[in-house]
Amino acid sequence: MQLKNYFDGSRFWLLLKMELFRSRKGLLMLFVISFGLLFFGGLLLDCAMEKKKVFDGHPSNFVFHLMIGGFILSSLAFNDLNDTLKRYYYLTLPASTFEKFICMWLLTSVGWIAVFTITYTIYTLIANAIGSVLFNDMTFLAFDPLGNSSLTTMKSYFVLQGIFLVGAAYFKGYVFPKTLFALILFFTVGGILAYFIMGEEFFNHDCGVGKCAVLYEVISHDIAVVMQWIFWWVLAPVCWINTYLGLKEQEV
Amino acid sequence: MIQIENLSFGYGQKRPLFKELNLSLPSGNIYGLLGKNGAGKSTLLKIISGLLFPTDGTLDVVGFRPKDRYPHFLNEIYLVTEEFHLPSIKIEQYLSLYSPFYPRFNRSLFDEYINEFKLPRDQKLNALSYGQKKNFLLSFGLATDCKLLILDEPTNGLDIPSKSQFRKIVANAIHEDRSFIISTHQVRDMENLIDPIIILDEGKIVFFENYERISKKLSITRQAELPDNNTLVYAESYLGAYTVVTENTNMEETSMNLEILFNAVVSNKSKINEIFKR
Repeated sequence: MQLKNYFDGSRFWLLLKMELFRSRKGLLMLFVISFGLLFFGGLLLDCAMEKKKVFDGHPSNFVFHLMIGGFILSSLAFNDLNDTLKRYYYLTLPASTFEKFICMWLLTSVGWIAVFTITYTIYTLIANAIGSVLFNDMTFLAFDPLGNSSLTTMKSYFVLQGIFLVGAAYFKGYVFPKTLFALILFFTVGGILAYFIMGEEFFNHDCGVGKCAVLYEVISHDIAVVMQWIFWWVLAPVCWINTYLGLKEQEV
Repeated sequence: MIQIENLSFGYGQKRPLFKELNLSLPSGNIYGLLGKNGAGKSTLLKIISGLLFPTDGTLDVVGFRPKDRYPHFLNEIYLVTEEFHLPSIKIEQYLSLYSPFYPRFNRSLFDEYINEFKLPRDQKLNALSYGQKKNFLLSFGLATDCKLLILDEPTNGLDIPSKSQFRKIVANAIHEDRSFIISTHQVRDMENLIDPIIILDEGKIVFFENYERISKKLSITRQAELPDNNTLVYAESYLGAYTVVTENTNMEETSMNLEILFNAVVSNKSKINEIFKR
């Protein structure tokens, strides 16, 4: 087994450059739409309609746009595979399947998190300055990209993004809605199973506002702890491995 | 160069195409792959390029198993399909993005081909005509110095001057370390270029011979009357006379007509087999 058959730094750099060049227009469009929506819908409209004293919407906007933008981007990761003619060239491009996977993984996970967070931070600085001029009676809270909430969002995206990469490697066309549909289906089936297993317990107890004994019990149960561990440590690698295998098995 | 042993492939279990196919293609030749629609030509080329995976058998292409699609394998093959996509960028941008993937890419050779085909450098690739796009891909493929260039219907959509340019360029680009496989229906465009001839029919290699042996074994003549003997392999009536394929018994070389040869092979496989086994 020769390592060069799987990974070569200079070849990987070529691939990365090529993918960045090819996706430059799409990325620019994604950023323009995201930040246009954020500024006009998330900031100006919010300030004008809500009549608040303090604008604190940056953290929640960050969560929404990082997640949705990133999931859409990840769904488009292997877009060439959706087109029969582009597929020929993608699959015969002299780079290994591993390099093709790592390239897209890097761009849509770490790359997206870094670029979006930096751009978003700059945006909040500019938006807060403009907002202060337009709504001088309001206080605009600064966005902390390294705060707990931001870091948890990034970590969650890093894990969940793998699901959309799997979708990109396996579904042909309409990857984003198909992946969402698959997730909804999965949770519906999971929910029905959970209902049959634990439904009786849930229906036969009192659950007041802010306190639910059974729910606390479920959350602190060993199974729930294991599930959380699986979510943080297993889900993403399993998705990445599946994406790689899906790419490797692609035919025309 | 290419070694295929007992290869099987099908589009699903209900549509088997190749069953225990064997083929050996040494380097240094321009192979002509002929066959009717649905004979399996394009499928075979895709299997050789690693774009389809055989269900059984072994396949060795330039020392690699195509299914692995290792970069060093992909460096050594270049496939120009009948239909293709070219990005909305200029030639220079395409070269700067794609040529570094091919370590032996020869820029001066590429420029030479581009000039010979008179391709405009200032236009975006997707704005070129179909024939120009094809010529661009051919130029790029040849300049990669890959060991195996696979061309699927390369002369479809080319104008008459481009067809002769194509023949000239391809004939000059072959050397003993590389091979070209040309799959085509336009057999007249390929006369005097492809050698040996491989004919694929219903998923089987029914004919694999070089020109020299074909002209020694078969005679293609035009006659007013059909010959009345057992040397007749195939005849076609055209404009009041017959183009006749017979066994070459007097060892006189006749001019090659690939179209007639193809029809003769497909319509009378047993006779052809019998003649070439002798």
